[in-house]
Amino acid sequence: MGVDTLSRRGLLAGLAAGAAGLAIGFRLDGADAQPAGPAAPAMLRANPQLDSWVRITPDGRIVVLTGRVELGQGILTAMRQIAAEELDVAPERLALISGDTAETANEGVTAGSQSVRFGGEALAVACADARATLVGVAAQAWGVDRAAISVRDGVIQGAGGRSMTYAEAASRVSLVRPVDTSARRKPPAAATLVGTSYPRTDIPAKVFGQQVFIHDLRPEGMLFGAVARPPGYAARLVSLDMVWAKSLPGVIEVVRDGSFLGVIARREEQANEAARMIAASAEWREGAPLFGGKSVFEYLRTAPSETRTIHSTEGGGPGARRHTAEYRRGFQAHASIGASCALARWEDGRLTVWSHSQGPFPLRGDLARGLRMQQAAIRVIHVQGSGCYGHNGADDVALDAALLARAVPGRTVRVHWTHEEEMTWAPWGSAMVVRLEAGMAGDGALTSWAHDVWSFPHSTRPASTDGCNLRAAWYLENPVPMGRITDGALPNGAAARNAVPIYAVPGQKVTTHFHTDMPVRTSALRTLGGYFNAVAAEMFMDECAAIAGVDPVAYRLRHLRDPRLVAVLRRAVEVSGWQPRPVTPGRGRAQGTELIGTGVGLSKYKNSDAHVAVVARVAVDVGTGAVRVQRLWAATEAGRAINPDGIANQIEGGMVQATSWTLMEEGRWDHRRITSEDYHAYPIIDFGHVPPIESVLIDRPDLPSIGVGEGSQAPTGAAIANAILDATGRHVPEIPFTPERVLAALRG
Amino acid sequence: MLRISVNGRSSEVDVDPATPLVYVLRNDLALNGPKLGCARSQCGACTVLVDGRAVRSCQMRAGEAEGREVTTLEGLGTPARPHPLQAAFIAEQAAQCGYCTNGMIMQAAQLLQDKREGLTEADVREALDHNLCRCGTQPRVVRAVLRAARQQGA
Ligand code: FES
Ligand code: FES
Repeated sequence: MGVDTLSRRGLLAGLAAGAAGLAIGFRLDGADAQPAGPAAPAMLRANPQLDSWVRITPDGRIVVLTGRVELGQGILTAMRQIAAEELDVAPERLALISGDTAETANEGVTAGSQSVRFGGEALAVACADARATLVGVAAQAWGVDRAAISVRDGVIQGAGGRSMTYAEAASRVSLVRPVDTSARRKPPAAATLVGTSYPRTDIPAKVFGQQVFIHDLRPEGMLFGAVARPPGYAARLVSLDMVWAKSLPGVIEVVRDGSFLGVIARREEQANEAARMIAASAEWREGAPLFGGKSVFEYLRTAPSETRTIHSTEGGGPGARRHTAEYRRGFQAHASIGASCALARWEDGRLTVWSHSQGPFPLRGDLARGLRMQQAAIRVIHVQGSGCYGHNGADDVALDAALLARAVPGRTVRVHWTHEEEMTWAPWGSAMVVRLEAGMAGDGALTSWAHDVWSFPHSTRPASTDGCNLRAAWYLENPVPMGRITDGALPNGAAARNAVPIYAVPGQKVTTHFHTDMPVRTSALRTLGGYFNAVAAEMFMDECAAIAGVDPVAYRLRHLRDPRLVAVLRRAVEVSGWQPRPVTPGRGRAQGTELIGTGVGLSKYKNSDAHVAVVARVAVDVGTGAVRVQRLWAATEAGRAINPDGIANQIEGGMVQATSWTLMEEGRWDHRRITSEDYHAYPIIDFGHVPPIESVLIDRPDLPSIGVGEGSQAPTGAAIANAILDATGRHVPEIPFTPERVLAALRG
Repeated sequence: MLRISVNGRSSEVDVDPATPLVYVLRNDLALNGPKLGCARSQCGACTVLVDGRAVRSCQMRAGEAEGREVTTLEGLGTPARPHPLQAAFIAEQAAQCGYCTNGMIMQAAQLLQDKREGLTEADVREALDHNLCRCGTQPRVVRAVLRAARQQGA
C-alpha cells in the first residue's frame, strides 16, 4: 500500500473520528506586522478561491478546508463549529482537511492566537457565501423568494415539502470561483452551535489509541532515520569511518553532507543507537565557547545589539519621585512530551513530507531553499504532533527526514527525534532582560513609563524569503544560511510584545535592544516576549503601588481606561475574594513556617487580544525559599466565545504552564550547547504542584472573537510574582523564582 | 524469535530481546496507545500494563515481557465498550494534544484497580505524580479519574 493512500486514510480517519476544538493559535511574525483590522478580507484576499475553503462533492460530501493546523488547542473543532453554523449542516457530517499544501488555503503559520480571529472569520464568510449561493439556486428553481427557504442539515427546504440537497444545488452552479466577500454571516443571536461547548472531535481517537499522531504513521516498507549530532552548535565534522558506520547493526545507509550526518536503519532503536555511536566516534572540530564565557544576562546587556525606540507618547514629566527596576528571565523550552517527527519520501525528483509544523506552506518554501529545488515539486501534509507551544523542532526534523530519504528514493523514512535532541537542538524561548523606569506624582499617580527590553529573536521560523531556517541546512557542504532576522513590529511586537503599557500613563517610551547573533538559537515560544514583558510590567506596577501605599487593584483601576480590562480585573477580584490592602514592603504575613501572600496580574495579550486577570495565592517556606501556589483564579474576556469549554481548557492549561515557567524552568548550557537535555535537568510542573484553578469567562457575543490561546500566561506569572512580593515584601527579580533566589531575597 | 502476548493476542516478533518494549509495541505490532516520550522513565507517556501493573515500556526489555500479559490503551476498552477511564476522559474533555493521555489513563487504571473505595483527589495526584503533561491538562485529568472511580464504584 502506498504512503499516500495510507496516510490520507489515516488522516481522514483521524479527522472523521475527530479533529479538534477551540480557539487559539500562534501566528508568524511577518503576519504579526500587520495591524489587526478587518481580517477576513485579508485572509480571503490571499486565498480568494471559494473551493479552497469549502467544496460540495457530487456524492454529497461537504468538505471544509482550513490552512490552520491542530496543535492540541482544539482549533479544528472550532473550525468545524464555525463552518457547520454558517452552512447549516450537522458538524459531524463535515469532512475537514487542514494544512495540506496541495489542498488548502495558505494561511501561513498557525500562531499568535490568530486562528479563530482571522482564519475562522475567513472560513465563516466563505461558508456563508456557499450557503447563500446554494439557497439562491433553489430559490430560482422554485421561483420563490429566498426568504421563504430554510436549510436543515444540508437540505434546502421550501414551502409544500419541496427540498433540494446541497449536492443537487451544487450541481447547477459553479463553486469554483472567488469568494463573494460581501456574504453575510449568520447573526450571533441566531447561532445554535457557535458559542456552545461542542466536544472536541479528536479526543475519542486519542483515548482509544487510534492513529492520530504523525508518530503513528507506518507506511509499508518504512525505514527509520536519525541524525548524528555534533558535540556543540559550532562544531564541524572532520572525519568519520564511513565503512565502519555502515556496518553498524541494522544500518542501511549513512548520509554525510558537510557536517550533516545521519543514518537510515531498519529499526527505530537501531537508527538511534547507530547515530549515537557515530556521533561519538566521529572526529569533530570544536567551535568558539557560547556567550564568550559570559553569563547570558551580561551578554545581553553588553554585546552589540540594535537599539531602537519603537514607541513613545507625549506628555509626562519626571514626577515627584522615580522608581527603577530590572528583571531577568533565562532561556525556557517547549519541552513537549513527544519529540518532533517527520516522514519524507522522494519519487521521481518530487518530495512528499508529512509534518506537524505550524506552517506547512512556509516549511515548503524553506525546504525548497534548503534542498535547492523548486517548491512546486514538494508537498507538505500536516499530521498532528505532540502539543506544540511555538517553533520547536517540527520544521527542522522535516529537512532531516528529506535529506536522509533522498538516499533511498521510493522509500519513506521516518525521523523521530529523541527527547534530548529536541531539548538541545530545537529553538528555545529567549532569555530576556527588562528594565523599567517610572515617574510618580506626589499622590502616587504615574507620570511617565519607560520600558527597555534586551532580547534575542522571538521568531526565526521558516517563512523568510531568503535563506533557510531549518537547522540542517547550515551544516551542509554548501550551507544555506539562515534568512535575515527581524524583530516583529508593533502593535503586536515580538521582543517588545506587551511592552506598551495597558495603563493610561503619559510619557511612554519602549526601547528594544535586539540581538540577532544567537549563541543559543531562539524562536517563538508561546507569547514570544509577551509573557516576560507583561510579568515585568505587572511586578513593577505592584512596586509602584507599594511606594504609593495603595492596594494593587485600586492602583491599577486608577490607571486603567480600557473598560474590558476593568471588567476582567473586577471579576477576578470578585471570584477570588480579594481583600484590599496596600503592599507593605519588608513584611510578610506568617503562618507557621510559611509566609502567605496574594497577588494580581492583568494583561491584554498583544495589546489586542484576550483580556485576562489572574489572582494567585502563594505560600513561601521561610526555611527553604520554596514557593507553593495554593490557588489561582482567572477571569477572561475574548469577545464572542466560539467554544467556552475550549477556552477554559486553553486558559487553565496556560495557567498550569505559566506556573511551571515562573517557578521552575530555566535552561542551562556549557561552552558547547544547552545541557538541559531531559526532564531531570529541566523539570516541568508535576501533579503535586499544579494548583487548584477557578476560571470564569465573560462572553461578549456582541464583539468579534479574539485570540485566547496565549492569554493566561503573562497574568499568571505576574500574579504569582506579586503574591511572592506580598508574602515576603522582597523584590525577586529573576524568573524562575527558585527556592535559592527567594531565600536569597529573604535573607538579603 | 520472541513470543509476547498483548491485549490477549499472542504474537511472534523477530527482535533482539534487549529491545525496549515500546519499540516492539509501536513499530512491530503497530499499536498507537503507548507513546514514545522521554525514553528515560521521566514522563510516563509509554505506560502499559504488564500483568496488571503499570510499567514504563521504554524501560522494560521486550524479552522480559515474555510469558506475561501486556495490556495497552487499545486493550483497555473500545469505542463500543469503553473502559470507565476512557469514557471519563471524553466526558471531562481531559486532553489538549493528547500525547500524554495514554500514560495518564494507564497509570490511573492501576490506581483504580488498587483502590476502589474512597479515592481522593490527593490519591490521584500522588498516583500520577510521575506522569507529565506539558499542555496543562492536570486539573481535567484529576476530574476524569475521580469521575471514572465514581462510575466504577457505581
Ligand atoms: S517515554 Fe517512557 S517514561 Fe517517558
Ligand atoms: S495533553 Fe498535551 S501533553 Fe498532555
